[in-house]
Amino acid sequence: MRGSGMELVLEADALGKRYGSSWALRDCALRLPAGRVAALVGPNGAGKSTLLHLAVGLLRPDAGAVRVFDQAPYGNTKLLAEIGFVAQDTPLYRDLTAEELVTLGGKLNRRWDAALVRHRLAQLGIPPGKPVGTLSGGQRAQVALALALAKRPRLLLLLDEPVASLDPLARREFMQSLMGSVAESGTTVLLSSHILGDLERVCDYLIVLHSAEVKLAGPVEDLLDGHRQLMGPRTADDRSIAGVAAVVRASHTDRQSTLLVRTDGDPIDPSWTVRDVDLEDLILAYLTDGGPTRASHEEWGVPA
Amino acid sequence: MMWLAWRQHRKQALFTLVGLAVLAGVMIPTGLAVRGTFADLGLADCVQQQNTETKDCGRAFNDFHNQYDTLLLVGILFLVLPLLVGLFWGAPLVAREVEQGTHRFVWTQGVSRTRWAVVKFGFVGATTLAAAVVYGLGMSWWLGPLVAGGGRSRFEVLFFDMQGVAPVGYTLFAVALGVFAGTVWTRMLPAMAGTLGGFAVVRIVLTAVARPHYLPAREHTYPLVSAAGFDGGAPRDAWALSDGVRDANGTMVGPGVQVFCPPGSNGPNGGPCGGEFGEGAYNWLLYQPADRYWLFQGIETGIFVALAALLLYLAVRRVRRIA
Repeated sequence: MRGSGMELVLEADALGKRYGSSWALRDCALRLPAGRVAALVGPNGAGKSTLLHLAVGLLRPDAGAVRVFDQAPYGNTKLLAEIGFVAQDTPLYRDLTAEELVTLGGKLNRRWDAALVRHRLAQLGIPPGKPVGTLSGGQRAQVALALALAKRPRLLLLLDEPVASLDPLARREFMQSLMGSVAESGTTVLLSSHILGDLERVCDYLIVLHSAEVKLAGPVEDLLDGHRQLMGPRTADDRSIAGVAAVVRASHTDRQSTLLVRTDGDPIDPSWTVRDVDLEDLILAYLTDGGPTRASHEEWGVPA
Repeated sequence: MMWLAWRQHRKQALFTLVGLAVLAGVMIPTGLAVRGTFADLGLADCVQQQNTETKDCGRAFNDFHNQYDTLLLVGILFLVLPLLVGLFWGAPLVAREVEQGTHRFVWTQGVSRTRWAVVKFGFVGATTLAAAVVYGLGMSWWLGPLVAGGGRSRFEVLFFDMQGVAPVGYTLFAVALGVFAGTVWTRMLPAMAGTLGGFAVVRIVLTAVARPHYLPAREHTYPLVSAAGFDGGAPRDAWALSDGVRDANGTMVGPGVQVFCPPGSNGPNGGPCGGEFGEGAYNWLLYQPADRYWLFQGIETGIFVALAALLLYLAVRRVRRIA
C-alpha cells in the first residue's frame, strides 16, 4: 500500500442522484483511501453505474457532493486527466482500429503514454490494423483498459468489471493484466460488479451497494475481522448477545439459529459457536435484507 | 479533436461529395439542354418583354412548356435534400454516440464536452454550409430558364425555396434540428423522426404564414376594360399573393378572378364585357414586387440561420446534461 493511507481519492457526502422521482443513489457516504483496489458490489440496478458516473463527472449530483482528489468532477476537464474510466460494455468507436484509437487518445489527452499502450497491446496480441468492432469481446476490453491506463491515471474506475460477460479465461487474463499494471503504478482502482467472483482475490477494499444505498464499506481485512457467524439454539431475533453490535442477518431452523453479526470487540457469548466469515457470506448477508418485494407483489396483484 | 471529427465524418463527407457530383452529373447536361432550347426558341426576348401574345412567343412558351414541364416538377423533389442532410448528418451526431455508449468514452478523455460539441458541430456545420452553397447556386443556374420559360416567377412558393441562398438556411436549420433532436431523444430513430416532423412543420408554417408578410404587400389595380394588353400591365415576375375583382366600393365580388376585355367587346351574356360586376369594378392584385426577391431570400435565410444557431446553442447546453 502506498502513502500514509490517509489521503482520500474518492469522497462522497450525502450524495444522491435522482432519475425522475426515483433515487438511483441516495444519501451515499464513502471514503476511498489512496492505493486501494476496491470492489463496488451490488445487484443490477443498485446504483453502481450511477456512483461511478458521478465520480467521473458524467453526471451531476442532485444531492450532496462527490469529490475526487478533493475536486468536484462534474465538468472538470482538468480532473479527467487523473481518472481512467472504462464504461460498461467497454464502448469504443467500433470502426476505428486499435492503432487509430491510440492516436485518438494522444490527441484528446495532454498526458498520454503511447509507448505503454502500444507495448501492452502488442504483448496481448491485439491486431493494430483491424477495426475494434471486429475484435472479440475480451480483446476489446483489453483495448479499452489499455487506453484508460495510457492516461497514467491516479484513479482507475472500471464499470461493471468490464469483463463480467467474458469467458473465465479472458476474464482471468484481464484481471491479471489489470493488477499487474496498477501494482507498479500505485493507482487506486475502483471496480464495480454484480458478482464477487475473482474480485475476492484482488480487492483489499469493499463497498456494498444495494437499493441505492451504501450498506457496507471498508478495508476487507477490517470487515472480515468485524463480523462473525454464530450458531446456536433457536433464539428470538431481538435478543441481545454479548459481544454483538448488530445482527446483520438471521436464519432459523426449528431448533437452530444462524446469525451473521457485527461484533463490538468484546468477547462473544460463549454459548454460541463462533465462526469466521468469508467475503461472500458477508456480501450476501448485506444484500439479502429488505428489498422492494412487497410493492412488487402489490403491482402484480398476488399475495406476498 | 479535429482529428476525431474528420475521422468520424470523412465517410459522410465523401458520400456528400459523391452525392453532389451525381447531382451535378444530372443537372449540368439537362441544364445545358434547357438553356439550349431556351435560346433556340428565342424565349429570352419573350421573357424580357413579358410577351405572351405574339404568335411566335406563344408557340415558343408552349413548346418549352411541353418539353420541360415534367423536368420542372421533378426539380421540386430537390426540396427534400436539406431535410435529408438534417436526417443523416444532424440526427446521428449526438444520438449515435449515446446509443453506442461511446459518449462515455470520449467525454471522459481530456477534452471538455463543450469543446467536443463545438468542434463536432462546427465541422458538420461547415461541411453542410459548403455543400449547401454549391447546391443553392447550382440550382439557381439550373432553375433559371426552366422557371422563366415555364412562364412562372422565381418568387413563387416552391421555386423560391429551391434556389438562391434559402436552401443554405434550410440545410443549416435541418442539421441543427437533427443535432438538437439527438440531444433530446438520444436514440437515432426517434431523433430522425423528430427532425422530420419538426422540419416539415417549421418550413410549412413559415412559408404559408410568415413569408407573405416579411414586408407589407403592395396592391395593384387596373380596369377590366383596357387596351394595355392581356394582363393590364401587372407587375412582372412578382409573387402574387391574392387577386380578384372588386366593385366600385372596394368590396370583393369576384375572388380569384381577373377580367381582361379589349375595348368594345361583349361578354358571354351579350352585355358589355365585365358588366356583371357592376359599374366601376376593377381588377385587384396583392403582390410582392419582383425586386424584393433577394431581400426575401435574405430574410428567409436569416430566420433559418438564426433558428439553427439557437438550436445548436441549446444542443451544446443539453450535451452537458447527458450521461
